[in-house]
Amino acid sequence: MVAENTVEPIIQRSSRLVEDRRISDDAIRRLVDAFYAKVRCDPDLAPIFERAIPGDWGSHLATMRGFWSSLMLTSGCYKGNPLAVHQRLDGMAPHLFDRWLELFGTTCDELFDEDVADAFRAKAERIAESFKLALFYRPDQPWQRRGP
Amino acid sequence: MTFVVTDNCIKCKYMDCVEVCPVDCFYEGENMLVIHPDECIDCGVCEPECPAEAILPDTAPGLENWLKVNADFASAWPNITAKREPPADAKEYDGVTGKFDRYFSPNPGQGD
Repeated sequence: MVAENTVEPIIQRSSRLVEDRRISDDAIRRLVDAFYAKVRCDPDLAPIFERAIPGDWGSHLATMRGFWSSLMLTSGCYKGNPLAVHQRLDGMAPHLFDRWLELFGTTCDELFDEDVADAFRAKAERIAESFKLALFYRPDQPWQRRGP
Repeated sequence: MTFVVTDNCIKCKYMDCVEVCPVDCFYEGENMLVIHPDECIDCGVCEPECPAEAILPDTAPGLENWLKVNADFASAWPNITAKREPPADAKEYDGVTGKFDRYFSPNPGQGD
């Protein structure tokens, strides 16, 4: 989770990284391709994804490139309801989001300098927290946010 | 976790936010927009796009009333995903404080 007082600087830094072309469609394509190659080999995540998108990875990768382009380049490429998609999946559990973030962060570190990796990671962590709350939060049960 | 539309949207309604939102979670009233808190995925793309700087994360202090306005009216107003011309006098109201009490309209906007 991004600490509250770091949200604004991260947005400003991301915008500079886009202006400098260090975050670009090409960077997003490399990230998406490398990340989902890892996902497909991961014992925890692969079964969920293979059930959700059997044999249709080309289209999923294109969707995810559009999603990340919308998030990082404000391109408006992606329009959809990713939360509803996740709500329909069988076998979802909070620890899978942690594993997803771990693999995503590793991929970012392998491909990018620290500031670019941080910009992608910050965005992913915000959205993962939002999905986890929507999918698993129940008012009568304790909730533990991820650390800063 | 959500972003929230606040006072300075009222009578400005620039609508830059609706085009960049990946999940189409903006709803249109007669003179302001709101974000549906159950649909927003907290991506933050809209925040820097707002020329009126009216969109804030719900972690900012003092937004309880605005959270309620967003939640209540998102369920009542039509969805908006395409930007139109903002009001002709938008600039005159940009930065005016306390607009909710003087100008807020609970009526729906036209939507898409």
